[in-house]
Amino acid sequence: MDAITGWWDDFFWGSLVVVELFFVALIMTVLFGLIGAGAKLSNSRIAQNIAAGYTIVFRGTPEILVLLLFYFGSAIALTSIAQIFDPEVKFVDFPPFWAGSFAIALIIGSYATETFRGAFLGVDPGQIEAARALGLSNLQTFIYVRIPAMWRLALPPFGNHMLSLIKDTALVAIIGLEETLFVAEQAIATTAKPFTMYILVGLIYLGFSTVITLTVMVLEKYANRHLEVAR
Amino acid sequence: MSFDIDLIIDSIPKMLMGIGLTFQLLFLSLLLGTALAIILLIMRISGRWYLSWPTMAFIYIFRGTPILVQIFIIYYGFPQLEIIRESIFWPILKEPFGCAIVALTLNTGAYVSEIFRGGVLGVDRGLKEAGAALGLSVTQRFIYITSPIALRLCLPAYSNDVISLMKSTALASTITLLDMMGIARTIVAETYAPYEIFTSVMVIYLIITWIIQRTFGWIEKRMSRHIRKEA
Repeated sequence: MDAITGWWDDFFWGSLVVVELFFVALIMTVLFGLIGAGAKLSNSRIAQNIAAGYTIVFRGTPEILVLLLFYFGSAIALTSIAQIFDPEVKFVDFPPFWAGSFAIALIIGSYATETFRGAFLGVDPGQIEAARALGLSNLQTFIYVRIPAMWRLALPPFGNHMLSLIKDTALVAIIGLEETLFVAEQAIATTAKPFTMYILVGLIYLGFSTVITLTVMVLEKYANRHLEVAR
Repeated sequence: MSFDIDLIIDSIPKMLMGIGLTFQLLFLSLLLGTALAIILLIMRISGRWYLSWPTMAFIYIFRGTPILVQIFIIYYGFPQLEIIRESIFWPILKEPFGCAIVALTLNTGAYVSEIFRGGVLGVDRGLKEAGAALGLSVTQRFIYITSPIALRLCLPAYSNDVISLMKSTALASTITLLDMMGIARTIVAETYAPYEIFTSVMVIYLIITWIIQRTFGWIEKRMSRHIRKEA
């Protein structure tokens, strides 16, 4: 335990990076999920096929592979662009934070696509017809009828996606982002206490997962508040 | 920046040398993990608090932390502890392969036991009561009534978990194992051609995912052949 003493602040900043990464990736995940679900439900054959390809590729390949492909792939592209302007440049990379959050959001977004698609299909068509009959526009129907009805259905699986998301943030340490796992590696290099440090990282992640689980429980209760049976 | 076809043709056989290790990791940890899941399930639904509480804690810990951190704790962390180094498990935990198997088994065991529990809870109460009325004992009811139905119910979720396990095997490359991912990373480090190498290994992983999906689709169809309506 003494070994950790000097490292508390580093672990704190590392955890903060995890939180930032989580929220940035979460916003992108919802965006990719909605776009993907929209494409899958659209009438356009091309959009349907692109969305189908997207979910097949990102749900069927290891997360670490997507991450490395994005990070090193974008680095090569950026380096070759930079060399056009300045041949002296050896290596330019996309910041690991953005490469990481983008890659993770693409992966979890492919799962969210399926969840959102299912949830949109689960909305009672009668409600949408009722909205039409009341004279709501397409956009109004989407915002006031479809979204509130679908997020109730999407919330339980989406909670699981958020848990996968927070756990996938650990992978970004591999491309050198200074989050908790990376801090632990540095701490091990000086203290030679790998067990203590990695257990601490595990506890930090367990804390995050617990917070997410509880938040989803509260949100589910809130989403279904009008459906509760009086006791 | 160009796309080097020859490099792909050269390196695919090299990467396929690692497919054996990928499959070893997958099948061994799937087998052990499923066995562990059954033990955990029986402990969890036994109705005795001293059996179900430890199981719940185990599942909570292993589902709440990243698999990468679990692998690191087992591979890098355990050698710090005297007890582990003097225990009978040391010959297994000394090797990266043993560590990867242990980590993947514990992780997948936690997930699969929750899937099995969902299946068991989904079995109609009336069927169990009918079994009780026929004079079957608790064990007989579990084996002849609950298990076959629960298995059919949880098969789709189980196949998803097999795919996630397959994706997790790629993380073994972080503890020096040369599975497909490990070999791909070595080739990229030598040639610095992430696009070519990573996309071709991606295709191989996609084919494996597709085979797993197909196999489970076939099993599902077979297991529910008596329910299917004749067309």
